[in-house]
Amino acid sequence: MNSKSIRNLFTAPMLVSFLVFGTMPFWIDAIGLYQYLGLEVMIWVIFALAVNLLLGYTGLPSFGHGAFLGIGAYAFGLTQFNIAANLWVSLFGAVAATAVLGGLVAAFISHRRGIYFALMTIACAQIFFFIASKWTDVTGGEDGLLNIQRLPLDLGLAEISIKSNFNLYYLCFAAYVIIVVGMWRLVNSPFGKIITAIKQNDSRVAFLGYNVWLYKWIIFTLSCAISGLAGALFAMAQEGAYINIMSLQWSGIVILIVLIGGGFISFWGPVLGVIFYFLARDILGAYTEAWLLWFGLIFMLMVMFKPEGLAGIWQDAQLMFGRRKEAPQACPEPNHAGGD
Amino acid sequence: MALFEARHLHKRFADQVVLEDITLSFEENQISGIMGPNGAGKTTCFNVLTGRYRPDRGTVFFDGKDITGLPPRKIARHGIARSFQMMNLFDEYTALENIVLALPEVSARGFSMTHNLAHDVDAQDRGAAVLARIGLGGREHTPASDLSYGQRRALEIGIALAAEPRMLFLDEPTSGLGTDATATLATLIQEIRKSVTIVIIEHDMKFLFDLADRIAVIHWGQVIAQGTPETLRENEWVRTSNLGALA
Amino acid sequence: MVDFLLNLLPHLLNGVALGLLFALLSLGFMLIIGVMEVINLAHGSLFALGAYFAVMLMGQDGGIPLAFMQSYYELPAVPRYIIALIVAPALVAVVGMGLEICLRRTYGKDPLYGLLLTFGAALVLEEVIREIWGPAEYFLPLPKAIRGGFFFGDMIYSNYRIFAAVFAMAMIGLLWAFLNRTPYGAVIKAGAHDSEMVRVLGYNLSRLRLYVFAFGAALAAIAGIIMAPIWGVRPHVGVDAVIPAFVVIVLGGVGSFWGAVSAGLLVGMVVALTAAFLTEWSLLSMYLLLLVVVTFRSRGFAGKASALEA
Repeated sequence: MNSKSIRNLFTAPMLVSFLVFGTMPFWIDAIGLYQYLGLEVMIWVIFALAVNLLLGYTGLPSFGHGAFLGIGAYAFGLTQFNIAANLWVSLFGAVAATAVLGGLVAAFISHRRGIYFALMTIACAQIFFFIASKWTDVTGGEDGLLNIQRLPLDLGLAEISIKSNFNLYYLCFAAYVIIVVGMWRLVNSPFGKIITAIKQNDSRVAFLGYNVWLYKWIIFTLSCAISGLAGALFAMAQEGAYINIMSLQWSGIVILIVLIGGGFISFWGPVLGVIFYFLARDILGAYTEAWLLWFGLIFMLMVMFKPEGLAGIWQDAQLMFGRRKEAPQACPEPNHAGGD
Repeated sequence: MALFEARHLHKRFADQVVLEDITLSFEENQISGIMGPNGAGKTTCFNVLTGRYRPDRGTVFFDGKDITGLPPRKIARHGIARSFQMMNLFDEYTALENIVLALPEVSARGFSMTHNLAHDVDAQDRGAAVLARIGLGGREHTPASDLSYGQRRALEIGIALAAEPRMLFLDEPTSGLGTDATATLATLIQEIRKSVTIVIIEHDMKFLFDLADRIAVIHWGQVIAQGTPETLRENEWVRTSNLGALA
Repeated sequence: MVDFLLNLLPHLLNGVALGLLFALLSLGFMLIIGVMEVINLAHGSLFALGAYFAVMLMGQDGGIPLAFMQSYYELPAVPRYIIALIVAPALVAVVGMGLEICLRRTYGKDPLYGLLLTFGAALVLEEVIREIWGPAEYFLPLPKAIRGGFFFGDMIYSNYRIFAAVFAMAMIGLLWAFLNRTPYGAVIKAGAHDSEMVRVLGYNLSRLRLYVFAFGAALAAIAGIIMAPIWGVRPHVGVDAVIPAFVVIVLGGVGSFWGAVSAGLLVGMVVALTAAFLTEWSLLSMYLLLLVVVTFRSRGFAGKASALEA
């Protein structure tokens, strides 16, 4: 690989994130936090990046995406218990199951957008939630699917146990690296540019000859598959799969995270949003039980005054200090100067 | 048979008949015009011809193939492109990004998820060439929302042009433009007519009469006159109408 | 066969009561869509808030008593109930106005932002409810007159369902009269049809939007209060309420008063009959109905289709 293609593959923010996340288990205790938090952050980052593919890039408001996180978790456990107690097989089961169900949902909703799309995702999520809580034989119902094992990582030559939070964290980090590199290429590819065009003006995209339905179907299914992977990792972290992450409240939280972070204008928005969320939860949460309420209010204020989110604020700061030419806007107003 | 033929098109919305027995044909390498007062049905006609609406009755043929009722994306794939009167740009994208999306080589690789489009030198160069052609050379990296109205109008047409269509439908391209910009547009159209068959809807009668080889007049949802600009000048209805001054 | 039908009657009554309440909820939802370009996802939360305020105003016997209102709680149940029916919607109307003011920043932008804002508002309101009143379920105390039931043939009929149906019918009738027989109603109808025109005619469009939002919120609150004994008073009730409102306007068409009423009755019937035969599925039936309706009903209504689409 020559230096140009390496530059295509990795960017500065990406490498910074690799450094920060790659070393996190070593300094997280030192700053007064704990190992398990690192796990949660990594998993939620993957999930939020998947959701932003839909919300920030394609403009599709999936308000029930937590259902797919849950499906991934349950599928991981069920594969482990019923098919093979092998990490790769179980991960595959989780991703495949979520992709299939995601594809099914996508088939129903890909010709919609806006409020129709949002409400359909809510309805589907509630249906999945209902199935998970009532199909007690399979999912354990309200109690959840217990005793999910952190299966050892079999690399052919060696087998690495991921029972410790430290080791499991690095598995999640490895997934993060692969997903981030792949996603970055995706959003800069023709496919990525087309889905962002769909967000701005889907009818024009159709007039250019593109099959808009198919693009939306693909990105939704892909987003679900990645969420399924995050769900599998989460099942290992919690050593169980529970219905609470399939609730609308959790689906709503990830939307808040993605927008507050700046997912509408930046690939890294979701990462910033997740970090902000966990800081809010653990630090603000120490002072008040109503921290989620404040988080929601911050969201509303952001939508009203700064839809570019934290990433936008960061870019404004860069503008102020002359590091950048101009900051992108989340919803630009066309310049209607008359005549020419 | 002409390159593009529409026969006996009929379209109603609810209980309102908007198009009645419209038959039009457009010859290859000609510039054809459609004019008529507001509410006459020209925009609906345009929308039916370009696939935005399905006709209730009638057929549309392009290059001998039946394209009646096909959705816009399939019509685009046949080599027909259109511009819009209400500007339909990708406001978050730069002028260049707007154009590149329309290029045939990009739409051919629309499902590629790994190829970096911004580093695709061929596509970027071809896109820049299109921009230069429509007078936006040098504005490649300006976001579309920051362009002036006239520049946005040019970009609007440029996107349709970038697709290298066989046939180009322009919906009121001079809308809101001043005299200079209109003249520039006329020059551009004269230049591209060598490679594209063009159909224009217009209000500006002078613009249309100067450019078009044949013009159809639509009023009350019907074609009430068709012919070259000279024959139409003699047409009683056109002469007595208030569509605008003819030089 | 006759037995089966007779056994069905109480459920049909429930369906009618539920349906009329859904219609009332949806009419408020529809008015808001008409005059702004916004789908208010927080409409369900306003519905829930109405129920909670009513529970607070009813006080003892299962309600949430406020210390400084002890002498008020000594009033008999009926006047307290009437006060609750008036004051709670008024309070929710104020909250609605607050929400409309927040929404002003999103007018003219991509409708996705208005959607996200009302989504955030729904979440915030649910959290506010959880904070103030806690996550446990409450029961709305009712005056004796509308409690209990009576026998007819072999079946028990609930007095409350009859009251709910009659009250909802009366409210719908009043609403119709207001919209079609008063000058204020005429302005609202005109605004729902063409908000720009209303401005051109000299009315203050922002003021109109503010009042319509408040009015829609009040209607949601009233529906919430009447629905409280049927659905229970929980923070999550808000989400469950916005779904039938949406299904009703998709089915009945935005802008059609009687379309909303008929669609409301249909949805109410489906939910009530599901509750009769497959109790656990009754709430889920609404979500399934939404899927079916949105999948098969293409966007076939004029006017505000654009507001819903985007």
